[in-house]
Amino acid sequence: MYTICGKSASMLPGNDNHPNLGTICGQARGPLVEALRQRIAQLEGSRQPKSDVPLSTGCEPLDQLLPGRGLHRGTLVEWLASGDGSGAESLALVAAREACREGGALVIFDQARQFYPPEAARMGIDLDRLIVVQAASRTDNLWALDQALRCPGVAAGLAWPEELDSRTFRRLQLAAEQGGGLGLLVRPEEVRQEPSWADVRLWVRPLPCGDPAAGRRLSVQLLRSRQGGGGSVEVEFDDEARVVHLAPSRARPADRRRAARA
Amino acid sequence: MCIWLPHGPAQRTGAARPELDQRQALEELAAWCRQFSPLVGVEDSPDPECLFLDVTGLEHLFGNEASLGQRILDALDGRGLEVRMAIADTLGAAWAAAHFAACPGTRQSACGHGEAACGLARFPVDPKPLSRTRLVIVPPGQSQNALRPLPIEALRLPRDVVERLHSVGIQRIEQLEVLPRSDLALRFGPALVGRWDQATGRRSEPIPALPPVQVFRARQDLEYPTARREIVESVLQRLVGRLAEMLLGSGRGAVRVDCRLDCQQSGGHSPPYDLQESGGHSPPYEAAEFSIGLFRPSASPQHLLGLVQMRLERLRIAGPVTAVSVEAAATAPLQRRQEELFDLDGCGPRRWSRRLLAGLVDRLAGRLGYRAVLRPRLVPEAQPELAYRYDPLLSPSPPAPFPRRERGVLIESLSRKARQVGKRLTTGPHPGPLPKGEGIRGRGPGRLATAGDWPPRPLRLLGEPVPLSVVSLVPDGPPLRFSFRGQEHRITQVWGPERIEIGWWRGPMVARDYYRVETAAGQRYWLFRRLADGRWFLHGTFE
Repeated sequence: MYTICGKSASMLPGNDNHPNLGTICGQARGPLVEALRQRIAQLEGSRQPKSDVPLSTGCEPLDQLLPGRGLHRGTLVEWLASGDGSGAESLALVAAREACREGGALVIFDQARQFYPPEAARMGIDLDRLIVVQAASRTDNLWALDQALRCPGVAAGLAWPEELDSRTFRRLQLAAEQGGGLGLLVRPEEVRQEPSWADVRLWVRPLPCGDPAAGRRLSVQLLRSRQGGGGSVEVEFDDEARVVHLAPSRARPADRRRAARA
Repeated sequence: MCIWLPHGPAQRTGAARPELDQRQALEELAAWCRQFSPLVGVEDSPDPECLFLDVTGLEHLFGNEASLGQRILDALDGRGLEVRMAIADTLGAAWAAAHFAACPGTRQSACGHGEAACGLARFPVDPKPLSRTRLVIVPPGQSQNALRPLPIEALRLPRDVVERLHSVGIQRIEQLEVLPRSDLALRFGPALVGRWDQATGRRSEPIPALPPVQVFRARQDLEYPTARREIVESVLQRLVGRLAEMLLGSGRGAVRVDCRLDCQQSGGHSPPYDLQESGGHSPPYEAAEFSIGLFRPSASPQHLLGLVQMRLERLRIAGPVTAVSVEAAATAPLQRRQEELFDLDGCGPRRWSRRLLAGLVDRLAGRLGYRAVLRPRLVPEAQPELAYRYDPLLSPSPPAPFPRRERGVLIESLSRKARQVGKRLTTGPHPGPLPKGEGIRGRGPGRLATAGDWPPRPLRLLGEPVPLSVVSLVPDGPPLRFSFRGQEHRITQVWGPERIEIGWWRGPMVARDYYRVETAAGQRYWLFRRLADGRWFLHGTFE
């Protein structure tokens, strides 16, 4: 890190005191910025996403928001839900549906015993490829999640771990990396200051919707991602058709610009 | 082929398993040998020492007869058994060659030269020096030649017949050939001619094949009772390995394995004889039993052992273990399949594969219990909490779905009853005009909707509806605000009501008006009003 800093300082022209490095787009600095980015990614300790095709979240605007243009197999994704009935679980389930499109099982760790399969079936989840695990204790639940993520036959695992200590979190991440499935963790928004081993942390907040005929409006904010990036996007979740698209008119101009640029 | 075990089959475990007699042990070994040949038998004698394998037509699977023999020899070596084997045209010739063929020169002697090199003079004296070659192969059609130089004991004759033959100076089989057959039968009994004919192939002799093993059980009594976990584990490892061998031999895999640890009853003040934690005040058990279920039949010792060990970790026993037994209580044919680089019957390399998932499901169900690993199934039922059912993935036979015909009859008879009392039976949404809402769909009485027809349902359904205090403008109107978990929610959007009225013939009547509501913060809940008393409940959240 130290040498990079020195090098970059020497390579940067003296008169350049632009506050935001990200906006530098000069011809000569492109490679340097790229090298710095790679270095940062290395220091973050993340596995470089493999050259595999990114996995769609089932939600086009959300894919655009993510730096990798989607999710990556073998990683964890956190969905922070803002209170009850926030819609985070629906988005996670849509992503799970996409992850299972190429085969593999979906395992749901329903410790609270509140998961409602008929609605999942309506959302396009194949119940024949769904395994629901109802563990009795939190320890068992996390153990089962770890086991499932390690299994190459599992395309996605969906769980609601409220508390995760760093070691368990890291273990889950390694398990996902080993098994090559997608670990989807729906968690309360209160944990958003805690450290994370997830590849992507998304914060889902519901927005009041004025029009009863329109779908449900959700704001999804990319809190952190291993590959950098940020921002938020508003999506509309169609209860009937179960498709997610960009909220049409009331998206804030800034968000729309960001989405368009991405 | 004949396999002769001069020291018996229990050489390695001789002391540990006195309860098995020679024949039982041989039969166990015979079952294991089924992996080499479909037809295996134990020698038909009061004191058997030999196994017979039918290897006709099998040699090309292993290259040739010699490599087949070597393979079996190596496998038996791995079990710590010292054997002599012979492959010949007939059972009798193989038996004779296994017991009495002298040296690598047998082949030559069989071909008629080099007889002297075999040192046959030793034979009647001591038939069991084992420093010679362990695998004798008599080429096809050479049985008679091969038998010629062997002593007459090689014909599996009763002792008195042998003695009588010796008394008249007949030592070797070739000496019989010069005598008239009719005299032989008269003087020495029919056994001599019969055995001779069987050995040379003039008379056929079937292999006394064992019936396929149906009971897969392995048991070991410990010489000294122990509470040490490592010892119990290593015993279990051996037993599970033996069980897997038996299963493999018959081409079956275990679906359920029962384990049993017999414990010594600890009297009076009981020392903490536990595998893991202290037993506390639990009553002393005579035996600790547990069983593991499998998603897919397996005969892999590692997999079975892993599952057994997982249960052993949590097992509590009453006293030192005196005996361990393992039994495959339910088995199914092993699904053998060729490993393919790409699965063509799936849509991708990560397809739903019982093979890949079997290990996971077994492990999960092993630790969490089989009722915790479930597969959901939709049920055509209007009442939301009854619209699905969970089946354990590991249950040996999933419960049959509720027969439809019966249901139809039930509804029909009840409609008739309802008509009699002048009431209309409705199942499904309210048929009458309702305020705005999507639940209004014409459904005839008695028709049950499938899940696809419903208005949206919540993804989380509370196990028990939670009573709420709800403010609404008019007594039967939609809700305006409610409080839940100490938080006041103002409702800004309402969809509904959707009336669900069903199940009164099953017990308590269910009649509810469901509302989907959105609060000012955008959160969505699923509320209903019980029509019987007008009370409000929260039933789910649209996560």
